[in-house]
Amino acid sequence: MANAIIMPRQGQSVESCIFTEWYKQAGDTIQKGDILFAYETDKASFEQEAEEDGVLLATFCEAGDEIPVLQNIGVIGKEGEDISTFQEGNSSTEDEDVQTEVVEEKSEQADVKVVLKESVEGEKIKISPRAKKMAEAEVVPFQKLEGSGPEGRIIVRDIEAYLASVPKTTPLAKEVIKAEGLATPEQGSGLGGTVKAADLSTNPVYASDFEIKKLPNIRKLIAKAMHASLQNSAQLTHHLGADARRLLELRKQVKATEGAPNITINDMVCFAVIKALKQFPDANAHFLGDSVKYFNKVHLGLAVDTDRGLMVPAIKNADDLSISGLSSQFKEVAESCRQGSVDPELLSSEAASFTVSNLGNYGVEMFTPVINLPQVAILGVNTIVPRPADLGGGAYGFVPYMGLSLTYDHQALDGGLATRFLKQIAIEIENLTIDF
Amino acid sequence: MPKTQFIDPAKVRQASKIKFKDIPVNQYDKSIEEEKVNFTKEQFIDIYHDMVLIREFETMLNEIKIKGEYQGVSYNHPGPAHLSIGQESAAVGMAYHLDEKDFIFGSHRSHGEILAKGMSAIHKMDDAALTEVMKNFFDGTILKIVSENHQGDLKSLARRFLVYGTLAEVFARETGFNKGLGGSMHAFFTPFGVYPNNAIVGGSGDIAVGAALYKKVNQKDGIVVANIGDASMACGPVWEGLSFASMDQFEQLWEGAYKGGLPIIFNIMNNQYGMGGQTCGETMGYDIAARIGAGVNRDSMHAERVDGYNPLAVIDAYKRKMELLKDKKGPVLLDVLTYRYSGHSPSDASSYRSKEEVEAWENQDCITSYAKELLAAGILSNDELEAIKADVTELMKYSMTLAIDDEVSPRMDLVKHPEIIGEMMFSEGSVDKMEDRPVEVNHPMEENPRVKQIAKKERFAFDSKGKPFSKIKQYQLRDGLFEAIVDRFYKDPTLVAYGEENRDWGGAFAVYRGLTEALPYQRLFNSPISEASIIGTAIGYAMCGGRVIPEIMYCDFLGRCGDEVFNQLPKWQAMSGNVIKMPVVIRVSVGSKYGAQHSQDWSSLVAHIPGLKVCFPATPFDAKGLMNTALQGTDPVIFFESQRIYDIGEQFHDGGVPEEYYEIPFGEPDVKLEGKDITILSIGATVYRALEAAKELEEKYGMSAEVIDARSIVPFNYEPVIESLKKTGRIVLTSDANERGSFLKDMAQRITELAFDELDAPPVVVGSRNWITPAYELEDYFFPTKEWLIDAIHEKIVPLNGHTVLNNFTNAEIIRRSKLGI
Repeated sequence: MANAIIMPRQGQSVESCIFTEWYKQAGDTIQKGDILFAYETDKASFEQEAEEDGVLLATFCEAGDEIPVLQNIGVIGKEGEDISTFQEGNSSTEDEDVQTEVVEEKSEQADVKVVLKESVEGEKIKISPRAKKMAEAEVVPFQKLEGSGPEGRIIVRDIEAYLASVPKTTPLAKEVIKAEGLATPEQGSGLGGTVKAADLSTNPVYASDFEIKKLPNIRKLIAKAMHASLQNSAQLTHHLGADARRLLELRKQVKATEGAPNITINDMVCFAVIKALKQFPDANAHFLGDSVKYFNKVHLGLAVDTDRGLMVPAIKNADDLSISGLSSQFKEVAESCRQGSVDPELLSSEAASFTVSNLGNYGVEMFTPVINLPQVAILGVNTIVPRPADLGGGAYGFVPYMGLSLTYDHQALDGGLATRFLKQIAIEIENLTIDF
Repeated sequence: MPKTQFIDPAKVRQASKIKFKDIPVNQYDKSIEEEKVNFTKEQFIDIYHDMVLIREFETMLNEIKIKGEYQGVSYNHPGPAHLSIGQESAAVGMAYHLDEKDFIFGSHRSHGEILAKGMSAIHKMDDAALTEVMKNFFDGTILKIVSENHQGDLKSLARRFLVYGTLAEVFARETGFNKGLGGSMHAFFTPFGVYPNNAIVGGSGDIAVGAALYKKVNQKDGIVVANIGDASMACGPVWEGLSFASMDQFEQLWEGAYKGGLPIIFNIMNNQYGMGGQTCGETMGYDIAARIGAGVNRDSMHAERVDGYNPLAVIDAYKRKMELLKDKKGPVLLDVLTYRYSGHSPSDASSYRSKEEVEAWENQDCITSYAKELLAAGILSNDELEAIKADVTELMKYSMTLAIDDEVSPRMDLVKHPEIIGEMMFSEGSVDKMEDRPVEVNHPMEENPRVKQIAKKERFAFDSKGKPFSKIKQYQLRDGLFEAIVDRFYKDPTLVAYGEENRDWGGAFAVYRGLTEALPYQRLFNSPISEASIIGTAIGYAMCGGRVIPEIMYCDFLGRCGDEVFNQLPKWQAMSGNVIKMPVVIRVSVGSKYGAQHSQDWSSLVAHIPGLKVCFPATPFDAKGLMNTALQGTDPVIFFESQRIYDIGEQFHDGGVPEEYYEIPFGEPDVKLEGKDITILSIGATVYRALEAAKELEEKYGMSAEVIDARSIVPFNYEPVIESLKKTGRIVLTSDANERGSFLKDMAQRITELAFDELDAPPVVVGSRNWITPAYELEDYFFPTKEWLIDAIHEKIVPLNGHTVLNNFTNAEIIRRSKLGI
């Protein structure tokens, strides 16, 4: 059988080479090891040896031609062998033939749509042997195709439809796609959108060292909500510190008092936030685009970290609660979130009028929480750090400060109001009184 | 029924009685003294010698089977050995008058008959003829082996040749008479007139009749003897053979030299047991088997019971019966009474008979009794008798030593020649005529009315504008068959055709219309309605050197000749070591409209059996070309036709069906319509429904179908199908056969195996439902239709836009049906 002579590949990045010279002419008898032709890249010149004995049956290029690597430039074989199958890709007229055939083919499958999906590890892919062979030859990422055959089987027409939907690829790009398991980009930088190897965002370092897992539903919901939040609001965050000495003192008292409920710093911050919200009804609201929903009561959402992901249960009518009531409700609802038994109604972002997200325990000093739309703001509570402060009387010392990060929707609140609200939270914290 | 015969009601309604001729029983009563006028001393001694030869041959095998040694030489023979110890006089008496031109057929217990008939031929043939036979057989291989260290005359060398060749065959050696492919139950040697012995009880009962037909039609010397057991008289095919052999037409309608009965003797080797079943008193009701003759024809088949324990009685009977056959008074039935002391086979514990009975027969042993008479008559001395025995024992020891020597007598080397048996399955001959002599016909072909009528027909179905000619004007598929067959009748003088309604009627489907005018009776005749005899006789006819077209009308009747089609026809070419050719073309017609027992396509059944070629053309061009090929060949062909399309015109072959002779090679499928999106492979008449489906696929769904007509299924070249698949990637297979176990399934599997990577969907088989065929009006629910094909494509291969299915081809339905076996 005759074999193709191809333009050799020179490294990962060389897309094409300049053909320099044939040392043998069509019709010459070739022995393995004979120098067949010369070619060059922009960096070096090369000579190519024959890899088998035979007769040089045909040559498809001349000196000076720029030839994509891996493309046929000649045929070696036995005298009289049919070489018609080797010229593909080299003659423009033939290219047109191929295209008209594809157009005809479409008459049978005009309605086949290319549906791409994320391929998932371990998922069983139904594909016909012929479609698979074609997919592998044409480096089609069939794992990502939805099949249109019986029982969702990927069949040839799906591969053909995919190929029709993506630009042509150079032989090198094809190889890289195959080796790295990449998808063909929608647009290439070559002639007529041809995809070149350089267009492929392949990572030579980790290559295929990853695995893809399907999202659990809660993750999907969170992702959707978070993405929607950033897409649909004008968020920004102000940061401000509050003197935490009062809080720490109260905490100490709680701990020292026998039989007192375990009121945490977070409980106290929330208690202070509720007080501030009562004075700033604009922050205790939902923004509805062309209107604003103001709440009479405070329904406080508290971000809870669970194994299943982030949950934000709401405490209804939180402003009616004493500090111990608030504290015990927080514990209860957080526990039911962790166990998965929480009332789903309470998890809806519409259930809360305002949310507190406390990362202080983890040592976070500053962050920009993302608003649970349609709420208009969210308070991020940071860790307590000592800060130099004027102690009065010309004395300076270190005072524990708690960082507060308020993210608000600028569509609903102006900066001044937000700042005043945040300051009010700090004031409430610094002057907090509680009964227990 | 020919018009020349008038069934006169006045005559046939008259009161009368059937009177039977007497059937003689053991009437022979001559002494050896009286027989001295008929036999020379040498002949008396030959009879003794031949019996002793058989006895020792069988004793040797018995010892090998039971003790693992004979005369101190050990050997293990795992194969069969059905011995006839006790029956020697019956065999020698039967063979005594027969020469090499007389043919015998036998059973699984025929070692004795082979040796007796072989010795009889050797006694009669001159040295030149014997040398010729031995030199030519398998290029003198056996002769070379037995010639080594031989001293004595040519006849003694021939005796060595016979015993060694038979024994080597029993031991499955390549130097045996049938290259070891026949073995104990099937060994034979045609140059001495020993034709196939048959391991199916009664198998020779119809095949031998075909040999007698061959002798008659081709005016050959000699008679035919069917050696069959007493128990085989219960077998249907044996009765069918009797019926066929005793047809009135031989006497009443056949003319000239062909007038008169068949030269055949049904020789019942009546050892009184069928395995362990006692035929008289237990399993049969005839009491004396000769009685059967009374029920067969006016002459009671000249039936007679002969005491087979006395070789001279049997010889006497044969002398008289052969005279009858010479006068064309056959067939003859002989009931040769005998007894076997040995078991049915070595595993037989004789639990069905008493020791006393065996001893009583042994006390009258045929060889001992005859020896006593020879002694008494002074023909031989005791010493001479002993010398004969010793000589025979020596010969057996010599033959055994030689036959078990792997150097001298190797088995087929399937390591070195892995395909050696495969190459013997078909003879692959291409022979214009089986014998070179003038053909007997009634007029020149061009004067034949059918030939004249066909000359006026349109050999292509459409006119130059693509408009079809009227049915009556079109050259039809049945015309294609006729042209090929009539052409061969005018080429090959041995060709005969028969079956039900073949003469006068012109065949049930008018393929043979015009043949009656062209051919004398002996070349075209009506058979009894007995498919086993139609096929069985065809096998016998072909074995002897003739060419034959038996026809069994409906495919559904194949079951009626199951043994003949499955066990006999396909086997004998290979089992003979390619000595025998089998140019038999069985015409089988697949019906429609006639319900469950007249509409089945059983091509899959015959395709399953190794040794048969199977074709199923669907166009006039293919029908003529394939029939020409079938009739030019030397292999058995099951030629399927479909009653749906006997009247179809030629729609594909450019220029129509050629007038001249041409052949279409077996195994080459034909692309009837080119396409590129899906391949439809059809067997038989479904090709037209496939074309309808292709049309609809193109018009409604823009899918271009390639329609391939398999034309033949054994052999079959898959390459064109694979080529088509490379293009289309999809294939649906269809035929009118029931879908379960259909040959299409075999093809689907082969295609999957050969072209897995080309497949865009599994090959899908669309066959008939696994039901009885319902009435014509309901056939669309049973046989594949255009709609079924499209539904199957939609469901299993590629969903078609906007297609609504009418039939259920889902996996769940397939599983449900399979679970229920429907």
